[in-house]
Parts: sequence; C-alpha cells; structure tokens
Amino acid sequence: MEKVSLIFFKKDCMGCHACEIACKQEHGLGVGPRLVRVLEHGPDFKPIYCHHCAKAPCIEACPENAITRNAQGIVLISSEACIGCKECLEACPFSAMQFDEDAGTAIKCDLCIERLERGEAPACSTVCPTQCIQWGDTKAFFKRMDESMS
Amino acid sequence: MSEIKKIRTVCRNCHGGCGVIAHVKDGKVIKVEGDPESPISYGSLCSKGLSITQLAYHPDRILYPMKKVNGKWERISWDDALSTIADKFNQVIDKYGPESIVVGQGTGRDYESHLYRFANLLGTPNVLTAGHMCYVSRVASTLITCGNLPICDYRGDPKCIVMWGCNPQWSNPDEYKGVDFWQAYKKGAKLICIDPRKGFLAKRADLWLQIRPGTDAALAMGFHHVILEEELYDKDFVENYIHGWDGFTERVKGYDLERVQEITWVDKDLIRKAARMYAVTKPACIHWGVPTEQTNNCADCTRIMTGLMAVTGNLDAPGGNVLYVNPPTRTVSEFARHKDLSKEARAKRLGGDQFKLGARVAFINPKSAWDAILTEKPYPLKAGLLCGTNPVITRANAREAYEALKKLEFLVVLDFFMTPTAELADIFLPSGTWLEQNHVADNWKRHGFILARQKCVEVGECWQDHKIFMELGKKMGQEWWDTVEDALDYLLEPAGLDWETFKKKGYLQGEMVYYKYKERGFSTPTGKVELYSTALEKWGYDPLPKYTEIPESPVSRPELTEKFPYILNAGFRTPTFFHSANRMIPWLREIRPDPIVEIHPETARKKGIQQGDWVYIESPRGRVKERAKLNDGIDPMVVVAEHGWWYPEIKDPGHGWDISNINILMDNAYETLDPAIGSTNLRVCLCDIYPCGDE
Repeated sequence: MEKVSLIFFKKDCMGCHACEIACKQEHGLGVGPRLVRVLEHGPDFKPIYCHHCAKAPCIEACPENAITRNAQGIVLISSEACIGCKECLEACPFSAMQFDEDAGTAIKCDLCIERLERGEAPACSTVCPTQCIQWGDTKAFFKRMDESMS
Repeated sequence: MSEIKKIRTVCRNCHGGCGVIAHVKDGKVIKVEGDPESPISYGSLCSKGLSITQLAYHPDRILYPMKKVNGKWERISWDDALSTIADKFNQVIDKYGPESIVVGQGTGRDYESHLYRFANLLGTPNVLTAGHMCYVSRVASTLITCGNLPICDYRGDPKCIVMWGCNPQWSNPDEYKGVDFWQAYKKGAKLICIDPRKGFLAKRADLWLQIRPGTDAALAMGFHHVILEEELYDKDFVENYIHGWDGFTERVKGYDLERVQEITWVDKDLIRKAARMYAVTKPACIHWGVPTEQTNNCADCTRIMTGLMAVTGNLDAPGGNVLYVNPPTRTVSEFARHKDLSKEARAKRLGGDQFKLGARVAFINPKSAWDAILTEKPYPLKAGLLCGTNPVITRANAREAYEALKKLEFLVVLDFFMTPTAELADIFLPSGTWLEQNHVADNWKRHGFILARQKCVEVGECWQDHKIFMELGKKMGQEWWDTVEDALDYLLEPAGLDWETFKKKGYLQGEMVYYKYKERGFSTPTGKVELYSTALEKWGYDPLPKYTEIPESPVSRPELTEKFPYILNAGFRTPTFFHSANRMIPWLREIRPDPIVEIHPETARKKGIQQGDWVYIESPRGRVKERAKLNDGIDPMVVVAEHGWWYPEIKDPGHGWDISNINILMDNAYETLDPAIGSTNLRVCLCDIYPCGDE
C-alpha cells in the first residue's frame, strides 16, 4: 500500500482556522481536543498537527502499545487500548497529541482514514483558502514538491 | 438506517456567497462541506460557515415566536405574533403616521429586497441599516462618481493589487473574492498593503504602508500627487472621460508628499514608490475595506480612490476595477418598490436634509434614529422592527443606542438568539438560518453572480426572514405573493427562469463586458467620471474631494491627549466572528475565547501591561475591558481592539453588553459624521489603556 503524507506550508497559512473546524466536524469533536490547531505569533501563524513521524515518539512512549503505524504510514491510536497515561502527549515534539477528557484517553489525527478509504481528501485540506495544506501519496507528493521548488 | 441526502446550497454566515454541500439525514443537517463547483469559493469554506450545525441546533436558539409579558418571555403562535405587531403598527400609523415606525437591519444579508418592500409599502422612509458606513456608502459614493461600484477584477489577471484596509480572507471570505485574490497574488501580482497593523498580507506585501488610522483619504491624495507630478496618468482617459480634471488637479497640488507624510505617518519616499508601482504596473486594482468608509471622510475617500482607478486607466479594464454586469434579474430597488414611497414620505426621512447622499440610497443614520426616539425631534419614532441586527453592540456611542431602544414604545426583533438588542424587544420572531431558506442569494450585491440558496431543513417554528416580511405585510394589507418561491419567480423572471429551474442551475453569472464607457459613457449626469461631482454640488456640498482631519485625533484635539494619549483603532475583525455574531458557537469561541486588544510591547511596558492581562480601554465616552496581546507590528501610539463582543454565557438580559463593547468608546455626534452620507466614525478616537488590576 502506498504511503500517504500531509503537510502544511506554514508560509501560506493565514490563520483562518477553517481547518480546525473542518477537523472537529469530521471527527464529531466538541470543545477540548484540537487535532489540528493554528497558533498566532504576530503576523506569523504556526499550524500544530500530527506529522505521522516515521519513527514516532508517541509510539515509543506508549506503555500499552496502543499507538501503531499502518501500512500507509498513518499513526493511529486505539482508544480501547489507551489507558490515558498521557506519556504520548509529553513525547510528541509537535504538541499534536491531544487528550479527550470525556473519554479519558489520548486522541490524535488519523489523517481522515475513513475519507481516504472513500477516495476523499483529508477534511482540513479541502477547506483551506490558500491551499497551504497539501497531501498525497508520499513519493509522488515529495517529487511534486521538489519540482515546484526547483 | 436512513440515507444521507446531499443538497447544494449557499452559505450566509457572513454576507454569503460560498458554495456548500449540506448532508441531511432524518431531517437534520449533520455536516456541511465546501462545494468544489462553486464559482466563488471553489470548495473552500471558512470556520463560520463550517460551524452552521452548531448555530442551527444550538440549545439557546429561539425556535418559536415570543412575547414579553410582565418582563418575561412567553411562547406565542405565529398568528398571534403577527396580529399583535400589525395591530400595534396600525395604531402608531393612525396616531403618528407611518414614518414613526423604524425598520432596520444589520449588514447586507440577502433580505434587503423584502425588508425594503415591507417598509415602502408601510410608507416609512426610515430604514436604518449599516449602509451609511459599510459598503452601501461605497456604492452611493461611486454611483455619483462613475455610475457603479468598481470591484477588483481578479479573474482578469491584475499585475498589481493594492489591498487597502482589507484582509478579505480573514474577515469577509465571500463573494468579494478572498480565494480569487489569493490566486491572482500567487500568479505573481505585486502586492501593496495599506494597513496600520502588520498582518499576514502586510508581511507578504512588496510594499507595506503603515498608515495612521483614518487618514486614508490623505494618502490617496498623495498617490494622486505623485501620479500628476510624474505624469503617470492615462492621458487619453483623462482627456475624454474625466469631469473636472482642472479643479481636481488644483486640489491635488495641495497634497505634496511632505504634507501627506505628516498627516499619514507614511514615509514620503514609500508613498512615491507605491504610487508609481500602482500607476505603472498594468493592470492594477484596488481592493478596499470598510476602514476607508467608517470615518468622516467616507464619501470623499471613496471618491479619491475611484479617481485613482480612473486616472490610471484601470477603471472597467480587465484586471483593474470593473463595473460588473449582473444577471438580468429584478433589482432590490424594483422588487422593493422604492418608487412607490411617496414624495411626502421621502421628505420626512430622518436626517434626509442633512445627509443627502445617504437619502439618495434610502437609509438613515442611527444618530438621527436615536435622537428621534430620545428627544422626539423632529418627530417621535414610536415603534420599530429590527432584522438580524444588534445595534446595542455594533453602533457608535452604544450607551445611547441602548437607551434609545429601551425607550422605544414597541420593538420587534428578528434573530436566532436573545441578543442584548433582542432582550429590549416586545416581540421576538425566530428567523431561519441559511439552511432553512429558499432564496436568490447575492441579488442585492452587484458582483456579477446570483446563487441558489436552497432550503435543506426546517428547525422548530423558525421562518426565513423573507417569509416573515411577506406574512406580516399581508397581515397589514400589503401586496405580496402566496409563497416565498412565488416571489423568487418574480425576481428571476427577467432572466427567463423560475425558482425551480434556477435551483437546478445553481448559479447565474452576468455576461461581462469591459470598457463599457467607450460605447455609452459613465452613468453620471455628465457621462464622465465626476472627480468634480455635479450631484454633490447640486446638494450644496464641496464638489471636489479632500481629506478632513479625524474629529478626535492628536491633531484635532491636542487638549485631550494628556488624558487620552493613544489612538484607538477599533473594529478589528477576526476570522471566526462576524460583527456581533457567533460568540455562542462552542467551536469558534474555543479558538477565540476573549476579546483581544493589541498593543505595542513598548506601550505595554510603559503601562505595566503583560501579555494576557485584562486591560481597560477608555475614551471620553467610557471604558470597557479586553485582553491585551502584544504586537510589535503596530505603532506604539496605536491600540487595535476587536469589536462586536457580548457574552451569551451571561444569562441576565444584558448578556454583558457593556463589558467589552468597544463601540461604547466611539462617538456619534453629528459633527463627527461624514457630511454627505452620515457615515459614523467607528474606527478612530483617542483613548488610554491600563491594567484592570485585581478586580
């Protein structure tokens, strides 16, 4: 199975927060966990999101092996296996790991895996007005990035 | 399990325009997505539109007509509500005349055709809108200058974009082409950004002009000065299509760059560079925002900027500022039967004698309305109907607005929630959201499109505003249609469509023709671009535009600066809220929980303010509190504050309307208004800022 990647081009993020709401809606989340969020620093914006790291610190930190990486390279957490110890929140270098207070478990970006199965794009990427959220088959995606930068 | 039905419709969380696919299951909208086939938004959708399910199904939403009995709200039937209103309005008409009823709305949200029809058939000239200082003021001022509103033609490939006091992707990502702007910019257009605050676009811009708030008209005159001095104007256009060039150039000569630098705080070399870039890069467009209108310079500033588009040959040129050709539907004016309002009724329009340009586009200034209620001069306003507006929060000198609406004998409010304004009403009528209406969207705007907003669901007993005006009108003996859709058929008739066929089509675009003036001139009395306005001259105003100093600034009121040393730049827009709306939407409030005031770190240090502190902002009219955020991208003398704040979570009837409401600080005295159109200065006054302390 081809690996999938998603990346925010920070330079083009203008802090509209549409991606955050699209994500909340897609995952049925209320106030609390923010699987993607955008921080403001003066005229700059910093999107905080899961990078689905190849060598993911969250996977390594989890004492219950509740976090795994699938064949597409998507790092997923099992809410059944999670014991809510928050080790993964501490381990994540991007502060992307979130905690669902209601469920008492950690929660994270699943790259809209159900949408991908239906051949649809991750929700956050569909609403961005500057197209700063790009995603795709990892190899083709990075080739396209190289070309656009050269 | 029942199936999910997908319905194509059009958002209206701001003014509207973005395409939406609504997912409906068991009579409920469970999700919305951007419509990739939308000619306006191309699939993108902002945080406000995406939150519609939290608005439509909010636990605090009022789902039934309500009547206030002994200070408490009680549910009543629609028939009871409409009969009560009709009876009361008829009593007022009999005793005081129809002009004693004020009909009002907030910003343009696609009900003006119906609202104005209701008011005209009622016989009242007193329609209170935001138009005096927002968009319609621009329409009116360009109407008398070049016949129509010139809009950035992003599809025509501008090579230079002047973003003048606007951040379209943040504050208004609708038909005014936030996405189109971005695409034109990404194709390599040069960007000039005029903004007192260094935001995303200022940072990206080729040139950023950090202007003293409110001095835009002077800066635009500075641009003209450079263009004239260096002969960068389009000689053919100036010779053939400008009325009053000689008089105008004489006026421009008074704005040498030394003077303009002193007024605007923008370095004169930078002004020269920007003016050159705009004038020589072809085509170039100017995208203007409301800060250019919300001052005493409203009409003149708009006219000077229209002059820039004209003299550089960018008016109605591809990629410049164009006069859009709209689909051939019935206009708001025709639908609303403006012509049926009698001459005698028009003559009674409050402030009509004073603000003749405002009267030309059929609205009144709020100050005139509040005075008529509070002083009963020149005659009393006794009853009112307000639709989708929260003037207690959004109008200048908010305490006066509050007192006036409180005193009004009988008030009807159409809204989704019990806002601080709605709490002052006698009857509350529950409006449908955009998910609950059939309408030809954007017909009121002149941006070249109309769009089919289709009803997806019904919620409670809410009615779309159009139906409310129609049924109340019929109760009062007015001529309307049987159904909302019948009225839409009438609207669409000239296009050879009815609602059912239009709904399937989704949208209609006018057929664009550029350089229309070459065939038939401009729609002004002289057929030319009137830099010297024959209309203003006839009405007794200065026919040539100029910069007039902001009424309360360190220049005009130096004696106030000891107590109020800073310039308040109010009305800062954020992407999650639309004016006073959305503070009760959990997803949006999570992103922006508190009202924010931005100050320079140096100012913060001087005043003992830390990032995140609650601070008082105080002007000669009062003080409110917001939360401090440090930003070195604003001038240390300037304080930038959000507007529109109230607290739906505070359950007493005031809902915290006076805690963080920046419009309590703004002035609305007649001498501070634009003389021709009555625009209120919602943007600039003097202030002080200091920590709230331990309270």
